[in-house]
Amino acid sequence: MQSINVYIVKRLGQFFLVVFIGINIVFFVTHATPIDPVEHSIMAAAMFGSTSPEAINMLREALADLYGLKGSLWDQYWTFWKRIAVADFGPSVSSFPTPVSTLIGRAIPWTVGLLLTAVIISWVVGNILGGLAGYYRENRLLKAAGVVAMGLHPIPYYIIAFVLLIIFGYLWPVLPLGGGYQRNMTPGWNLPFIGSVITHGFLPALSLVLVGFGAWFMGMRALVSNIVTEDYVVYAELAGVDRNRILGSYVMRNALVPQITGLGMSLGAIFNGAIITEQVFGYPGVGTLLVSAVHAGDYSLVIGITTISIIGVAGAVLVIDLLYPLLDPRVKIG
Amino acid sequence: MTAGAPTTVGAAGQGVAEAPQPQPVLRVSDLSAFYQTHYFGIVREVRAVDDISLHVLPNEIYGLAGESSCGKTTLIKTIAGAIQPPLNVVGGSVKFDFRGQSINVYESTPEERNAMRWQHLSYIMQGSMSVLNPVRRVRHSFVDFAFRHIGRSMPDFLDTVVGHLERLHLRADVLDAYPHELSGGMRQRVTIALATVCRPEFIIADEPTTALDVVVQKGVLAMIRGIQREIGSSLLFVTHDLSVHANLADRLGIMYAGHIVEEGPTAELFASPRHPYTVHLIGSLPRVGDAAPKKGLEGVPPNLADPPPGCRFHPRCPLAMGICSRETPVMEWAGPGRRVACFAAEKGITA
Repeated sequence: MQSINVYIVKRLGQFFLVVFIGINIVFFVTHATPIDPVEHSIMAAAMFGSTSPEAINMLREALADLYGLKGSLWDQYWTFWKRIAVADFGPSVSSFPTPVSTLIGRAIPWTVGLLLTAVIISWVVGNILGGLAGYYRENRLLKAAGVVAMGLHPIPYYIIAFVLLIIFGYLWPVLPLGGGYQRNMTPGWNLPFIGSVITHGFLPALSLVLVGFGAWFMGMRALVSNIVTEDYVVYAELAGVDRNRILGSYVMRNALVPQITGLGMSLGAIFNGAIITEQVFGYPGVGTLLVSAVHAGDYSLVIGITTISIIGVAGAVLVIDLLYPLLDPRVKIG
Repeated sequence: MTAGAPTTVGAAGQGVAEAPQPQPVLRVSDLSAFYQTHYFGIVREVRAVDDISLHVLPNEIYGLAGESSCGKTTLIKTIAGAIQPPLNVVGGSVKFDFRGQSINVYESTPEERNAMRWQHLSYIMQGSMSVLNPVRRVRHSFVDFAFRHIGRSMPDFLDTVVGHLERLHLRADVLDAYPHELSGGMRQRVTIALATVCRPEFIIADEPTTALDVVVQKGVLAMIRGIQREIGSSLLFVTHDLSVHANLADRLGIMYAGHIVEEGPTAELFASPRHPYTVHLIGSLPRVGDAAPKKGLEGVPPNLADPPPGCRFHPRCPLAMGICSRETPVMEWAGPGRRVACFAAEKGITA
């Protein structure tokens, strides 16, 4: 039990270190950019009419305070950390004065809902089919699945997305072309709205599954074809242990360890959003938000999204690390 | 199909009167198994097991010796029915007779073979360090391998397993350990326990002690022998280490390049080897007080994809005669219980 405590403490320390270094980099990189959000906002404000220099100076003071850019770099650094601790990233530059946290909060459920579904479906399907294909190598259906996976995998993602859009949105228009839900609907927990979310999410999710599935499939198949030659598998086969049992608790159990790591990485990356997917399908998620923030030079929004994704990736890796000893007993001593 | 005298064809003079013997548990007749590959239209055939006949009696330890890559492991894989392409059986048969219940390995269905495995035929594998599933506790291996054969309730079954482990001086808590938490010797004993818990009639052991140091090896060998005597199984024991065979085997078969070249009771074989290869193997063993440097055998074992014509040993044989490169010697009786495949030995010449 002692060693497991040490293990947990080590992993937690690693998590905080990664988050700390990552956020520091975010702070210094954004402060090194030539875009000054204060001047940016003043310019936007000045476009609506002439303002007196005194008023502009007062505005500048107020904005610098809002964006946490008052005082020396050291002061700004402190303010930055104090704000991050309460998830306050200040107001957005491009959609002033809406706070960044509100914008992100609005976008995150869409992104997380879409990507979580897509990643989990492609992981589960890819691993199960890949495992079966690696173990029952003579099965024709599984061989065909392998050909499909290998064929789909190298196609650039946006081509698959556009082909799906053309087929299901134009040639056979059964699914909506874009957006998160039907425009004239009010969001809420009712059946028509949930139905609308599912039909709108279907194509983006399908495109992500088609692309992601191939990598999991081939990874799992390669792992399994290695593991089937391991002594413990050969031995269980010699003992006449049921083949499905061998596949489940000997082959897949051992192959799952690296695959779970991969799953953790993909789950962490969810918070970055799927930029191309969200652009192609006009999905109201974090990816779209990030692209528009970069275009608009929205300094505080970029900081906000980057910070959230740093915490997301590090958090996912932490969770996977903590789950590892349950999957592979040999990790504990390492 | 199992009744009657041995059906070996190569064994000339099989009518020689012998003391009535119990029915063999294993009978291998004229077995040939080749690795066959077809790449780019070129057919390659590695004749790893070539026309081998042998039998193993109940409660007997049959040792199989020979240098590396002479086909020992291929032979026992073929006997166990555990072969996969490119290894194919091209002729002969393997028959087991488990107290009246007989099975012809290459004429049975996979279901019949699976029903036989572990209950009647078990296996102690080469490289026992890694034969246990690394991510599951040892208990699961016992359940997966043996539970369906023993046919009791789970608590009763585990009691049986614990009782069996005690015979091998293992405590019950190894069941709750992961394989990496056990020492090499313990893991080896767990594997032996796993292979013997169903009290099978036949156990195949492939280099079970090669990875262990000499002290542990001795204990493990004594344990294998003890448990074999206790449950009355037959044991087919494979190792290249002749000193292990000298201590363990009742009868010994010497393999060279896919053939068995000599066979006989262990003590007699060591005392008066007939085949020049056996003579060399035994001559290479160190003896107490013998300080003379050992002479190595010239040359290397032949490439089994393209074996020399005639006797496969003749290019290295000090007694080679003209006939040796033209004709293949067959295994012939050379005294009670002894067989040898050598033209020189036939004429009474020994190395």
